[in-house]
Amino acid sequence: MRYITISALLLLLLRLDIGVADAHALLDHADPRVGNTVKSPNVVSLWFTQNVESTFSTIVVLDSNGARMNAGNAVVDKSDRKLLRVPVKVLPAGTYTVKWRVLSADTHTTEGNFTFQVAQ
Amino acid sequence: MSIHFAGPAVPALGLVLASFAGAAAHEIAGNRFFPATLAIDDPGVNDELAVPTLSMTKSGDEPPVKELDFSGEYSKRITEAFAISVGPTWTHLFAPGGPTAAGASGFQNLETTFKYRFYKDPVHELIMSVGLSVEWGRSGASGVGADTFTTYTPTFFFGKGFGDLPDTIWWARPIALTGTVGYSVPGSAQTATFDPDTGNTDIELHPQFLNWGLSLQYSLPYLKSAVYDFGLPDFVNRLVPIVEASFQTPAANFAGTQLRTTGTVNPGVIWVGNYFQVGLEALFPINRDSGRNVGVLAQLHIYLDDLFPTTIGKPIFGGPVAPARPF
Repeated sequence: MRYITISALLLLLLRLDIGVADAHALLDHADPRVGNTVKSPNVVSLWFTQNVESTFSTIVVLDSNGARMNAGNAVVDKSDRKLLRVPVKVLPAGTYTVKWRVLSADTHTTEGNFTFQVAQ
Repeated sequence: MSIHFAGPAVPALGLVLASFAGAAAHEIAGNRFFPATLAIDDPGVNDELAVPTLSMTKSGDEPPVKELDFSGEYSKRITEAFAISVGPTWTHLFAPGGPTAAGASGFQNLETTFKYRFYKDPVHELIMSVGLSVEWGRSGASGVGADTFTTYTPTFFFGKGFGDLPDTIWWARPIALTGTVGYSVPGSAQTATFDPDTGNTDIELHPQFLNWGLSLQYSLPYLKSAVYDFGLPDFVNRLVPIVEASFQTPAANFAGTQLRTTGTVNPGVIWVGNYFQVGLEALFPINRDSGRNVGVLAQLHIYLDDLFPTTIGKPIFGGPVAPARPF
């Protein structure tokens, strides 16, 4: 009986962790990958751990001088609400900072930043 | 008249384990996610459930006594920055004589903690909180060392992530440090017991303690999402290697006793999911008074604020947070 109870608890937790609720949306991964060196991308894509809302969810890409390199507004992918992406201008070689701030479905706000490099 | 120290039935062990039951709370500041630590409480204020927390240790007494503790803690936010938590602990003391000898079991005194987060800086990943823990006297079983008096412990908590370190030491950015400094004050300084047979009065002192601890963490989730994504497997990217240290130093009202600083240093690891975390640590006593063998501490910790964000996981007063502002 004890093992059944423990197994049921573990199954419940696994079920919970594959996403049945909305929560703090933290950055899971990005393209370009965090810290990596890439060729100039057309789009910067961020995948979060939870669904995010288009309204008030933003990405800003800045060059090393602080100039804004966005070529449009950040939008949430309609088929994958964990994906937020923004088009960017042609990026010369250098280091770029991505600042993000998102609003998850339950109104939790999270923010963060990372850098990536563009090679010639 | 005689004077002696009024400690729990198993003095060293009781002191070492006193802080384990109250360890809970996760927190986010900018890029930084501070997981709930196991041995010390961290600066976070949140809705969460830490159950169970299991620890197995062996005291430094002669003969040593093996102790199993099973505890839980429920923390509820009243406002976004203020929470109240309640944590019972059930203890079983294994008798030195082995399985055939009689041990002792029962609840420790119930502990309630009031915590207020007064500072959070997302840019510098810095959090500070203050709290008051109350261990309610006579709410537990004296057979397992529960005190007959109430103890109050005002505590300062802090957490600092090092994401603002320069590029030259980028590899150190996933490091975070959290800590606590508290001072426990018994509700009564001593207990006097008159023995009518001998005519003697036995006085038990109730010492005051400085409770302090640190945790040093290296967050692989932070490494992946804010520093450098090495493309490691998802399981590895959710690990937070950690070393915790928890100490109790007698500070006042312990004259004539043999009390000295006790504590443990606990290397371990925490696996962080989206809705819960699992932690496992080894407990290394810092001296004989703190224990005899390496113990173990394990915890399942559930993030109620993430699981039930619109019901039991949100503050009673006020919304979770204000909507995000565009840049």
